[in-house]
Amino acid sequence: MFRMQCFHVLARSSTKSHRWFSSRPIDAEALLSKRTWSVRSLLPSTDTTPDSPQVSSEQLHHLLRLSALPPPKDPSEEARMLRTLSSQLHFVREIQAVDTTGVSPLRTLRDETTEGEQRNEIGLAELKDALCGEDAVGKHHKRVRRRRDQDGQKTAAETWHVLGSAEKLIGKYFVVEGGK
Amino acid sequence: MHSSTLRTAPIHLTRTLQHPSFTTARSLRPCIVAKWLQSRRLTTASPRTQEVIPLRKHLKDEAKRKKAEVKRDGNVLSTKQTSDSRLDKWELTVGIEIHAELNTACKLFSSAPAEVSVGDDGGSANSRVAAFDAALPGTQPQFQIATLLPALRAAIALECEVQRKSGWDRKHYFHWDQPNGYQITQYYRPFAKDGSLTLGAFDGVPAEDLNGAESITIGIKQIQMEQDTAKTMNVGSSTYHVDLNRAGMPLIEVITLPHIHSPQTAAAVVRKIQAVLKGVDACVTGMELGGLRADVNVSVRQRGTSGTGSSYSGVSGLGQRTEIKNLSSFKAVEDAIVAERDRQISVLEAGGVIEGETRGWTLGATETTRLRGKEGEVDYRYMPDADLPPLVIGSDLVKHLKTTMPMLPDAVEQDLEEWHGLSRKDAKTLNEQDNGDRVEFFERTASFLLAEVGTFKSEVSTGKERRKTGKLVGNWVLHELGGLLATHQRSWDDVRVTADELKDILVCLHKNQITARAAKQILAELVQRQPAPKGPYWPSMDTRPSVEQLIDAGNLRLRPLSEHEYEKLAKQIMDASPEMVKAVREKGQKGKVMWFVGQMVRQGEEGTVEPEKAKVVIERLMDG
Repeated sequence: MFRMQCFHVLARSSTKSHRWFSSRPIDAEALLSKRTWSVRSLLPSTDTTPDSPQVSSEQLHHLLRLSALPPPKDPSEEARMLRTLSSQLHFVREIQAVDTTGVSPLRTLRDETTEGEQRNEIGLAELKDALCGEDAVGKHHKRVRRRRDQDGQKTAAETWHVLGSAEKLIGKYFVVEGGK
Repeated sequence: MHSSTLRTAPIHLTRTLQHPSFTTARSLRPCIVAKWLQSRRLTTASPRTQEVIPLRKHLKDEAKRKKAEVKRDGNVLSTKQTSDSRLDKWELTVGIEIHAELNTACKLFSSAPAEVSVGDDGGSANSRVAAFDAALPGTQPQFQIATLLPALRAAIALECEVQRKSGWDRKHYFHWDQPNGYQITQYYRPFAKDGSLTLGAFDGVPAEDLNGAESITIGIKQIQMEQDTAKTMNVGSSTYHVDLNRAGMPLIEVITLPHIHSPQTAAAVVRKIQAVLKGVDACVTGMELGGLRADVNVSVRQRGTSGTGSSYSGVSGLGQRTEIKNLSSFKAVEDAIVAERDRQISVLEAGGVIEGETRGWTLGATETTRLRGKEGEVDYRYMPDADLPPLVIGSDLVKHLKTTMPMLPDAVEQDLEEWHGLSRKDAKTLNEQDNGDRVEFFERTASFLLAEVGTFKSEVSTGKERRKTGKLVGNWVLHELGGLLATHQRSWDDVRVTADELKDILVCLHKNQITARAAKQILAELVQRQPAPKGPYWPSMDTRPSVEQLIDAGNLRLRPLSEHEYEKLAKQIMDASPEMVKAVREKGQKGKVMWFVGQMVRQGEEGTVEPEKAKVVIERLMDG
């Protein structure tokens, strides 16, 4: 219902000449009442035995070590972890089954249009300040040298208390106990 | 010696002083020792009474001594023979990965300063840390575009193709020096690929590697930008101090292809890359200061075979490789590769197999140590960083940098050799000093000198003249000035001699108004005096005398002696030392003639005896 009200509000405030929704009113309630898909389809059904390769105990321990997670306390916890992991892997396999030929993977959420890329491009104009921060040194043997000790104001980066949230400190250092 | 007045002597002196028979076994440079002892009032003899042995003579004596030692120990020769025969059968292949700190004002993904600013608390630990560097939850990386400048210059200097679009990836592993739990690097799409580096015999490449060619080309697979880790220090048995100042600093990783086939070439490649990066102001901290680190990958195969069939980036038929991490000096690179090659050959000849493991090297060790086996191989779970947009580099920027690129070290040295007439070795040594300031001084002096004494009769003579004056100036800037700076333990910033003053000295020398010995004296005098004060002129202050004034004051102007006066002086010296005369006349030791020349110069009045004329006179008297 709320969504229906939103559409009406937007339609009234739209000053564009063309309308971007159909002239027939949509029966949202009828549309949303039927279930077309459930995430349960991506999880393994509890009664069927999985025919996919199982995760071994060594693999589980290897993964836990890589993620710096604590190992299971007893065999029942390990069995629980393995079951959860196997259902998660079933989900991943369902996702991997989707046909992605010709689709380049998404890396970050960003503007992928050519205009977006142009805006993101680092060219001569963007590096003008950095180039001004260099000196041309030498008359006979010409070199470039970046100017050091520029009088920059203390940025926010330098004014926070770096060691403030450390539990243990020795002088100005963080302390780590590396022993087993 | 009272311990309170004893300050630490330079290391090379403490060793020589502690050696019991140092006066007999080694030839010292008494000038440095005497001055040091004198400054601490530990000797009664004044420095003036001691002889100053020139550096090159000292080096020659050392080389002679070493040769004599080797001749005595016959074992050295036989082990060299066996190792050579092994190398006839086995071929070494090396690939190098160099991590170099970029010369930037800020870190890579945060605006924390990259260097200690003067008069600030930036020198203490954990003082240049942004929230992202400390991995506070919720902080985001912000790419600092100024870091692209040195990175692009490095890529262009190593002749790489700069990729328009490149990406940022996470390399996950847990360690105290990695606050985020991952390092942001460019694994899948580096910003520069397919470069090359050319080296010749003068860079230190042995003749076997050159195979008759003038130079060899080492391919560079890629260059990528990445973050540096924090610094950890082991204090006590298992406690570590962590300093996050270095966390997030920009590095470039230069990865070469396995085109290197000897340890000397590998060290030469690292040295060359450091010189190239320094020359374009991309990475200015050298290996000695920890600004550049090298990891090497070593494998061997029997000559003519294809090893175990392993391949790397298009180079196939190699043996199984092992990686040696964290080499921090050129010598360490060479020694570690030699040790690892010998170990691998021994294992393979005994019938074993090489495992792909990671090994470490400590200075002074004879073999590499195993750090991590294949089963301990870390799974880095590379994944594109979702917080950062791709890096898009404009072609106008690349073109601008290509056209405004400073001269690379190779071009500078070639110019010094061909245009100015220096030897390649001298050119290389000159270019390595003081970030190119010494070359600038040399070129200034040479152009001033040529302007004043050049006659410019014809193009041919100009070239010859230019090379002759160039060589003269080169010797003075490199050896004389360099020697004086070393004696007074000063850096080039405090040289105090201007190009004009050196030009004046060399003009007088060129016109035969003073002898070389007098010229050296004047230079030494100028080096020690305070520089002329800048600003308003105070007549009462001790101003710096000009070269002409010094010549007149020291009565150094050449008053040439007549033939008769030379003969008189020569006869005087010959009568005083009949054994030396006998050595030359009867034993035929022609080299001793120079001893007589030296005596004549020393005993004659300052500024009168010319060594060349004296030598002619002495030789004539010896024969007659």
